[in-house]
Amino acid sequence: MELVFVFLIFGLLGVVLLSMNALLGPKKTNPDKEKPFECGSPYLQNEIKPFPIKFSLVAFVFLLFDIEVVFFFPWALIFKEMRGPALVIMLAYGAVLAAGFIYAWKKGAFEWD
Amino acid sequence: MNSFGAVVPLLVVVGAALIVFLLEAFLKKENKNYLAYLSLLALIGCGILSANAWNGGLTYFDGMLRLDNAALFLTFLFLIAVAFVILIGMKYISLQDANHGEFYGLLLLALSGLMIMVSSTHFIVIFLGLEVLSVSSYSLAGLKRKDDKSSESAVKYFLMGSFASAFLVFGLAILFGTAQALDIPGLVDFFKAGPDNQVLGVVGLGLVLVGFAFKIAIVPFHMWAPDVYEGAPTPVTAFFSIGPKAAGFAVLIRLLAPYWNAGFRSGKLFGFLWALAALTMLAGNLIALRQNNIKRMFAYSSIAYAGYMLIAVLAGDGAGLLFFLTIYMFMSIGAFGSLIALSRKGREYNELGDFAGVGFKYPWIGAIFAVFLLSLAGFPPTAGFLAKFYVFVAAVNQGLTPLVLIAVLASLISVYYYLRIIVYMYMREPEREVSIEMENPALYLVLFLCLYGVLQLGLFPGNVLYLIKQAVAALL
Repeated sequence: MELVFVFLIFGLLGVVLLSMNALLGPKKTNPDKEKPFECGSPYLQNEIKPFPIKFSLVAFVFLLFDIEVVFFFPWALIFKEMRGPALVIMLAYGAVLAAGFIYAWKKGAFEWD
Repeated sequence: MNSFGAVVPLLVVVGAALIVFLLEAFLKKENKNYLAYLSLLALIGCGILSANAWNGGLTYFDGMLRLDNAALFLTFLFLIAVAFVILIGMKYISLQDANHGEFYGLLLLALSGLMIMVSSTHFIVIFLGLEVLSVSSYSLAGLKRKDDKSSESAVKYFLMGSFASAFLVFGLAILFGTAQALDIPGLVDFFKAGPDNQVLGVVGLGLVLVGFAFKIAIVPFHMWAPDVYEGAPTPVTAFFSIGPKAAGFAVLIRLLAPYWNAGFRSGKLFGFLWALAALTMLAGNLIALRQNNIKRMFAYSSIAYAGYMLIAVLAGDGAGLLFFLTIYMFMSIGAFGSLIALSRKGREYNELGDFAGVGFKYPWIGAIFAVFLLSLAGFPPTAGFLAKFYVFVAAVNQGLTPLVLIAVLASLISVYYYLRIIVYMYMREPEREVSIEMENPALYLVLFLCLYGVLQLGLFPGNVLYLIKQAVAALL
């Protein structure tokens, strides 16, 4: 029974919101708005043109630090039990990451052009 | 014995790799050779630490890392191989426009992956080592950045390698689902107990074997090898021919050794492996006949060699396998080293036609290369003969006569293409001008040491066999 209500409420809400937008929203269009949207490139082109690969570097560096944070969570949970050794292990881990960061920096990963 | 000492050799290698990477970013281009010296120093340090751990049976991480004698022996083998590769690569990478310090750092990281692989009995850790090895190998293959073939080889290796890893992980998942264990003793207990859902377990084990068959290039999972071997920089190819192969076989014998005396030859996987071995030897050697590019030919020859090594596994001859791997390391690095000797700035001579008359123009390099080729073909008194001899005898003693017959035939076929290079070197008029860079002392040192290894192991293998006996005792 509750499930039915959930579907009713959220379904109705969805329909209402969608129709509200069509009823009340401003309708100023221009040619660019009517085009299909494709992320990062013009929507119609004859061949795949070269695109800047800088994003991949950003992605790599992001991975470096994102994964670091992921490992901090389980570490924080067992820190109380392990104390000293845990700190040493995390410092060693941080040192490896720092080495990676310095390497990326020195190699010019953060220079956009 | 639980001791931190078990991790220290690994830490030395990884630490050296990090320092090399950092220095690489700061050093000037003309000082890159210091990185090689630093790497060699780390290898020596790691070797001394490993030698101290011999017979120690050190473990760490709750037994996940286990430095038994087998692991240590293979670690020595890898240390020597990587040291040789660094030495033959020093001049090469600057001549062939690949003068990146990453070469040394990546080699050290690959070495650490190999060491993790051989010194664990838990499949998750083995997989971890395999990935450390693979990721560094992919980038090593593409080190000649401006060379199309090198890039092709890196991409192919990456795609096929990840594909193989997927097989491996899938197999591990199935194994864990059925056996509730991923360490090798646990798996062995599971298969020996023989519960009902063993079919699924065998499927999982089969997938794991397929994953490793990719890595050690066994037919029908070999198709990446020729392109990768051809495109990769030659020192890296030398590393590929021994590193991943030896580590893959190490895992294979760790997994199969407990069955050697317990119905292995009537087991479910025996026929599968038998067929793979026969196919690998025949296909590898037959396709090698048609190759005109020497690196490609060596790629197929290394595939065929994986077949011979598989016979050792089938015969339950751990000592024979380790001996074979040791000798193959010397022969293979020696042969690739000779190829590197025949190169100059921006140019490598890899086509068969280039070798015409080389034996008279460069008598020393030609003669040494000829010895390595004879050894690969299996002529006495070189070590290549003894390696095959021990393995074949062990196999015949275990009643694998048909397989040995195929192996001997395959090895006869191989004589043709190895000797063809010698015929070109000594009995053909030169077709085109070959001029090479002569000043390369590190390379000549490696060639000499490999030559020494091939002859020493062929004539007086006693010392190494003694070590190998101690190493194999750890497996059984």
